[in-house]
Amino acid sequence: MTIEITRTGKDSLFIDTPVMPAAGTFGYGDAYRNIVRVEKLGAVITNPVTYQPWHPANGTRVIPLDAGVLVHTGLPNPGISKVLSQYRTMWSRMPVPVIMHIVATTPDQVARCASRIEAEEVVTGIELGLNDDTGSQSAQDFVKAVLRNTQKPLMVRLPMQDAYELAEPVAQAGAGALVVTAPPRGTARDPYSGRLVPGRVYGPLIRPIALRMVGHLARRVDIPIIGAGGIHSPQDARDFIEAGARAVQIDSVTWIEPKMLEIIARDLGGLTVTRASDALADEWYLGMGESTLARRRESMRAEDD
Amino acid sequence: MIAQLTDAMQQTQALIQRVRRINAHFQHVDLGIEEQLGDIKPGQSLLVRQTQDWQPYLREQWWPVRIAPNLVVVERPGHIKYEPGEFISVLGPVGSFFRFRRSLRHVLLIAYDTPPTPLLSMIPLLIANQTSLTLVLLGEAAAYQTDHLAGQVEVIHGGADLEWEHRIMTVGLADQVFAVARPDDEIRRFGDIWRMFAELRADIRKNYLFGVFQSIQPCGAGVCQACMIRLKQGTALTCVEGPTLDLSQVQL
Repeated sequence: MTIEITRTGKDSLFIDTPVMPAAGTFGYGDAYRNIVRVEKLGAVITNPVTYQPWHPANGTRVIPLDAGVLVHTGLPNPGISKVLSQYRTMWSRMPVPVIMHIVATTPDQVARCASRIEAEEVVTGIELGLNDDTGSQSAQDFVKAVLRNTQKPLMVRLPMQDAYELAEPVAQAGAGALVVTAPPRGTARDPYSGRLVPGRVYGPLIRPIALRMVGHLARRVDIPIIGAGGIHSPQDARDFIEAGARAVQIDSVTWIEPKMLEIIARDLGGLTVTRASDALADEWYLGMGESTLARRRESMRAEDD
Repeated sequence: MIAQLTDAMQQTQALIQRVRRINAHFQHVDLGIEEQLGDIKPGQSLLVRQTQDWQPYLREQWWPVRIAPNLVVVERPGHIKYEPGEFISVLGPVGSFFRFRRSLRHVLLIAYDTPPTPLLSMIPLLIANQTSLTLVLLGEAAAYQTDHLAGQVEVIHGGADLEWEHRIMTVGLADQVFAVARPDDEIRRFGDIWRMFAELRADIRKNYLFGVFQSIQPCGAGVCQACMIRLKQGTALTCVEGPTLDLSQVQL
């Protein structure tokens, strides 16, 4: 199965499985090497990167919410040069395309990032993350700044609050695909300091909002849409495909249940099993088959009896 | 920096084998662990989920207090009910292990407004190496009951003002110091501890005074970057390079 996830052209991006991690949830590709088999994914989206180094945010960074979490990191990263020098070798061994997520800081810096990436064979494409306060004209300027400096396929991640407004201008400016959407911004009170903290909101409650946007925008724009936002199960991911997404990005569930990323990828990759007779124990779901711990529990029960 | 990058984490399950109340506020839970978690070392922790629901959303950080083959004993608040025979989902090991100086005679542990739980896993190791140990409980930590600790551990109770009896002598004897502070304001409290040591010692050399950070860990693998700490030069992720960081390197 091969899926074209950017607009058709000589530099279009094809992936084997319509599932990839969302930027900021999978690091630079090797953090979960003992848990997630990267070759089962469609692509790897890197953590957000800027031209200059960015420092972590001050103050409270994480506020647990009901069925979710608010995270405010400040998108710390060492800058594109250091990221490339640190991960180039590892990415060259990646069995799937590496797509670098670039933060839309200024058109000039984004253009410099695109130029750097253009020279890197190990990076297959770019995902541009637009900020929440980006207007239509500004969004187009960012897209054009990237496309002037690279032939690589470009996906643009839309901010949730402006996704309807930005989708068509971004598509017209030449983006290869839209990622709908970035985690929404929110504010929550830190129970310890008593302060209100802004940040991005993650959790399953984001899903219905993102799903509606995907369905709506899939009918309005003529470039592929990649659905993202609150996907926590294979069925959630299938819902996005049914709504018109060409592929999906999995966000915070990877932090909580890293194996779920591979489970969703296997499911959407056409490898769904319920319990194949020859499946290895625990291959698909934890606790599904026999394990040493299950045997130990049985012996505990036998001792109790 | 004391910490070293460890191998990537595993996602597996653990079996609650035994639950023992150790005092009015805490219990010890024996976890049977799978082989792939067998390499967990003092200083590292586990991220645990007991439910398949999304409430609570984040995993809880569980700190081992004793590590044996196929078994980890963790210290948990006494009001939470755990059932022997229950399986829990585990991510780990999280973080890097404690690193000690080669010639180590005396280690000072400080708990400031928080229980000393993250420090306790080093006690069996140090006692086995005939290193003497002093545990100083400051502020709200003074309420922590210590009857279950090994008799070799000297326990001193102090005030919220970082004062305790024979403080100069205790600090002077220590070859290494490990401190925990209340997680909601760790940097300020570690700064208080640093200034106190700066007053008592002519200089604080590298690899001497360490903070064990208890930041909330959404991922525990260094990908969400929510636990990143500013150092005097660069940054460190407490879930990967920590939780134990040399306070001489941290921007306090």
